[in-house]
Amino acid sequence: MPISRPFPELSMKTMLVAGGALALQALAAGAQQPAARDAAPATLIRNATVLTITKGTLENTDVLLQRGKIARIGPNITAPAGTQVIDATGKFVMPGIIDPHSHLMSDGINEGTLSVTSMVRIQDALDPTAVSIYRALAGGVTTINILHGSANTIGGQNATVKLKYGQEVRDMLFPGAPPGIKFALGENVTRKSRQDVARAMGQPMRYPATRMGQEEVLRDAFVRAQDYKLRWDDHRARVARGDRGAVPPRRDLELDPLVEVLEGKRLVHAHTYRADETLMLLTLAKEFGFTVKTLQHGLEGYKIASEIAAAGTGLSTFTDSWSYKIEAYDAIPYNAAILMRHGVLTTINSDSDERIRRLNIDAAKLVRYGGLTEEEALRTITYNGAEQLGVAQRVGSIEVGKDADVAIWSQHPLSVYANVETTFIDGEIYFDKQRDHARRQQVARERAELLRADSASAAPARPIVP
Amino acid sequence: MLIRHAIVVTTASLFAGAVAPAVATAQLGVQPERNAPTTYAITNARIVPVAGPALERGTIVIRDGIITAVGAGVAVPADARAIEGSGLTVYPGFIEAFGSLGMPAASGQGGARGGPPATGGPPRAPAPAAGAPNSLRPVGQQPELLALDLLRPEADDIAAAQGAGFTAALTAPGSGIFAGQSAMISVRDGAAQEILVQSPVALHIGFSSGRGFGGGYPTSVMGVFAVLRQTLLDAQHYGAETAAYAANPRGRTRPAYDASLAALQPVLARRVPVVMTANTQREIERALDLAREFNLRAVIAGGQEAHLVATRLKAEDVPVLLSVDFPRAPGTRSPDADPEPLRVLRDRVEAPRSPALLADAGVRVALQSGGGYGRFLENVQRAVESGLSRDQAIRALTLAPAQILGVADRVGTIETGKVANLTLVRGDAFARGARVAQLFVDGQPVEVRATGTGGDRSADAAIAGTWTVTVTLDGSERAVTLGLQQTGNQLRGTLQGALGTTRIGTGTVGADGEFRFTASVTLPDGTEEATFSGTLTGNAMRGTVTIVGHDPGTFVGTRPSAGPGAQSPPRPRQR
Repeated sequence: MPISRPFPELSMKTMLVAGGALALQALAAGAQQPAARDAAPATLIRNATVLTITKGTLENTDVLLQRGKIARIGPNITAPAGTQVIDATGKFVMPGIIDPHSHLMSDGINEGTLSVTSMVRIQDALDPTAVSIYRALAGGVTTINILHGSANTIGGQNATVKLKYGQEVRDMLFPGAPPGIKFALGENVTRKSRQDVARAMGQPMRYPATRMGQEEVLRDAFVRAQDYKLRWDDHRARVARGDRGAVPPRRDLELDPLVEVLEGKRLVHAHTYRADETLMLLTLAKEFGFTVKTLQHGLEGYKIASEIAAAGTGLSTFTDSWSYKIEAYDAIPYNAAILMRHGVLTTINSDSDERIRRLNIDAAKLVRYGGLTEEEALRTITYNGAEQLGVAQRVGSIEVGKDADVAIWSQHPLSVYANVETTFIDGEIYFDKQRDHARRQQVARERAELLRADSASAAPARPIVP
Repeated sequence: MLIRHAIVVTTASLFAGAVAPAVATAQLGVQPERNAPTTYAITNARIVPVAGPALERGTIVIRDGIITAVGAGVAVPADARAIEGSGLTVYPGFIEAFGSLGMPAASGQGGARGGPPATGGPPRAPAPAAGAPNSLRPVGQQPELLALDLLRPEADDIAAAQGAGFTAALTAPGSGIFAGQSAMISVRDGAAQEILVQSPVALHIGFSSGRGFGGGYPTSVMGVFAVLRQTLLDAQHYGAETAAYAANPRGRTRPAYDASLAALQPVLARRVPVVMTANTQREIERALDLAREFNLRAVIAGGQEAHLVATRLKAEDVPVLLSVDFPRAPGTRSPDADPEPLRVLRDRVEAPRSPALLADAGVRVALQSGGGYGRFLENVQRAVESGLSRDQAIRALTLAPAQILGVADRVGTIETGKVANLTLVRGDAFARGARVAQLFVDGQPVEVRATGTGGDRSADAAIAGTWTVTVTLDGSERAVTLGLQQTGNQLRGTLQGALGTTRIGTGTVGADGEFRFTASVTLPDGTEEATFSGTLTGNAMRGTVTIVGHDPGTFVGTRPSAGPGAQSPPRPRQR
């Protein structure tokens, strides 16, 4: 049985207006089948200002969403029969926002007990019913990178997720997104304050307590991963030679993902603040022959922008959040602009269930600080994020053939007055402001009914005692 | 004294408040084994055999612990003690589908037992953690641990389970990721060896490590799943290595013996089922994903939100050992508290419907008390009032658990040749106010104690309820509302207010009032995971909160009144 959908009444109604064949297919396949979602009704967004991000801004333009994809972009598109038409005159259509650093919908953020926890997976802790998903959709966000926390040098495996609120976790995982892993450097790992607590409570301190130790943990882990890879390579060679008695080596869930990093199959997202530790990581990665995909936070990135660009590494930062701890004192709001001017693939992230709802405002600040163009500013919360997560062929811009992950904004999204009116993922509506308002009464009614039933059950009928 | 009058005696003793541990011992004194009658006949009773249609008036003959005849025209053997069954309904003995009857308190599922200060009693000291001898793995990760080896039932607990109508029970080591393997026991006094029906029955898995800050890997649900997957992979590898060595040891290094991995071999071969305790929708989905990944014979225990996953449970043929200890409304709410999330309300109101929803969806369901023996029958009656048919209900108490747990060849129905486990109820078991009149366990009559008079492992109310909490962090105070629910030593709920809106997925509360949970909190510089650990004292809590990248904070909270379980007076004895 599916989780109750945000708009159950919507799917029914849209099914009815959809073409007969599509509707039948959807009904036959059931709401949970991928086939049904491919058969989501076509939607024509009419007469909008379309911020494509990669192909400029198109005035008075229609966008046709069909079978989960962006089917056509252009003036005066004829709607196929059964299409739902939305008049977006005076409104703006933008790709769904991509947040490259989030802890949304996670029942657990850190497995902080060990210095290396590459065996743990965020995927195992996701809560697909977290209300914060819906709130993020209301901010126009459609894809997020859910990262392990920064408690240890090598953290857990990430999950790239489409915010398809109401679906099961397995249907929210971004299909085909390359896997990633969290690394962390600096104060959160040395956790000076918690080490003091541990000492006071007589508990053992966790290695490493310094940045030197963090480098050693990384080197040790990758040397172990190289040895492990050799054992497997040796086994495969024996099997290839026809050795039937060969028992495969023990699978090691800690080292498997690190081998994938060495082979360039898993993206490294590294939490770092200070320029010195960042350079250490870039040097170490070069030594082991892999590229760090993104630096997370990187508030001192502007100090080493050329080095980051040369390493082929991206950076995901805050616009103007700083001084909340010692290693964040040297931050400047021009960080992103400087990095972009040096050719670093740069994004803005929220790292917050609250700030994720207004990433458009964080992007707008880049126009003010550093003089990015509007399109460049919007790129930091859309297309660049898609590139950093390895899903740019699917999302991040409005182009024919890409996933129909778009949002309709009441005004230009860089305006403080802009609101999201409708958010689509794979062509389906996951947030709609009007429907939300309409639903509030219904929710209030349901609450009242539930409260009545609840108070009745709180005092169960007990037999009368003489 | 004639057994013919046993029921009258039972009722009379209830009025007097006397407690007889077992009728045979009480009546026959020093040599019960030699003198106990072994042949009984229950006459003129309504019989619900479950194996077939109900008999409005029939006779059951029991000899040497076995049912030897059932029917309308069955003659009473000359040597039988006859029991007049008019007005009684005889059901197959109820089976507690999951629990920790007879397990040591520390590893018991009812972790709150004896501990909650709400009752004012002194907390029972936790027994030392029981581990398997010579295990290579830490306590809580030892699949080789057998409930049978820990089994030491206490008379009070047995009597309380009997009061709920239980004649057999699945009992499992209560806590841990790999908690160990369960046993099916007869619910009666006796040594572990005598009351054992079958061991092992199933491997038991839990998703809470129960470890606190500084307690070592793993503490998070992610870590728990990594341990589960790595251990099962290691078991596969161990199987391959030992098989290769057994086939031809020459030239091979001898694999080291590992009792934990050896114990997992029958599980990987699907000969032993895996009971996973999972209550929320996402926990159940995670359990199903794990079962699919390793081709395990999965069974869900708890299953509070199982009806939300009914389609998948049916499709994957995964049965549910469903707890009927339904969540109930917390006590008085503080005026400062945030309103409860709609979903929490909805879950609570709809909970009694879940047995019917699951059964109607074709999911195999067996019922368990969830620890609350005193309310068990009343909870089943709520389920029946909420749509579970009487037929579905009695199956879920008898044949269904017997089949799911692999003992249906012996118990679960009233049929010739089966173990004489019977639950006798005056009137209909599923009508309000019905109560258990008498039991037969292994062919011996058992007088039952009134429900709710002790030994009840009712788990709720130690920490359950709505808490108004002030968190002091980074030099400022933040007001938060905690809505907490408790099942055994497991804790979950919601956190709302100045730290965002979030659900508490995994927490634990110990018998000593120490509790711990984690929640994602949203602070000005981002969303991070906060670990709350503290102590519960009556309606007050206090403790520390640790967040990566922040100095440790503190919290204090109050609860206007305890949950209903703690507040309600002991259930009065009834006529």
